[in-house]
Amino acid sequence: MENLEISETKSSPEISFNGSSYILSMVGESYPENTSQFYEPVYQWLEDCIASLAEQELVFNIELIYFNSSSSKVLMDIFDTLEDASDEGKNIIVNWIYDEENDSALEYGEEFAEDMEALTFNLVEKS
Amino acid sequence: MISLYNYKQDLEQDGIIFSFSGPMSHEIIEGIGSAIRVKIGEGEDGDRRAALKVFSIFVEQVENVINYSVEKDPKDSGMSFGIVVVGKKDGLFFISGGNRIEKERQDVLAEYLTKLAAMDKAELKVYYKERRRAEKSADSKGAGIGFIEMARKSSRPLEFSFQDIDQDYSFFTIKISI
Repeated sequence: MENLEISETKSSPEISFNGSSYILSMVGESYPENTSQFYEPVYQWLEDCIASLAEQELVFNIELIYFNSSSSKVLMDIFDTLEDASDEGKNIIVNWIYDEENDSALEYGEEFAEDMEALTFNLVEKS
Repeated sequence: MISLYNYKQDLEQDGIIFSFSGPMSHEIIEGIGSAIRVKIGEGEDGDRRAALKVFSIFVEQVENVINYSVEKDPKDSGMSFGIVVVGKKDGLFFISGGNRIEKERQDVLAEYLTKLAAMDKAELKVYYKERRRAEKSADSKGAGIGFIEMARKSSRPLEFSFQDIDQDYSFFTIKISI
């Protein structure tokens, strides 16, 4: 897979992927003006990335300080897609990174984690 | 109105920290939103947890005005008009938003919000997760879970009202306390 690089804005996260390490990261805040318009290409890209996975492991590091309810729905779709792929034997790890002071971020992470079975979904306190 | 002093005093008396009435846009969310976070979250008595919660409710309320207010800019910019205020009273932050709606939507909205107001935190969580995975309803322009999100963050049951404007329209107000 090729590298992916989407720059951070005030209301949308930085999204980057390194094609040699297979680490995908999403960092920042998410309340874009048009949520589906912002995430549609990311979602398409993710589907291609999953399809390209053979033996290697995809690590998705996600660190969102804040996201709105529209973004929450998109994240759920993304995790459901990753869950299905894990169920089919793909190696995917999600690291949900939160700041200890941000109890909402931890709570949301726990709620996503509760719904995942095949997908490895780690809650990681930011050091 | 030559002096805004009395108007400002009235706002302060009601504990209002920020008030915005007019055309709403994404830039308003980013701009006023940042100011809210700084005002509540920074400084000696800053409370970053509360700031983020207030900000999150503010975002949902402005987005509701943008998506659902039927009062549009006559100059055809497509911008929606409404009002959002943020304040603090009796130790609780409150965020109130209001906009014009078609009267025929009032009953459906009232029924939905009454249902949410009666739910406890555990029920709201289950309902939130259920709706988040559900297909979007036809009349929803966002994810359709904004009110549930607000109800979950509110430390009191959500409050709302409808005030008659004329035979076709009423003014909808929602208040969340944190």
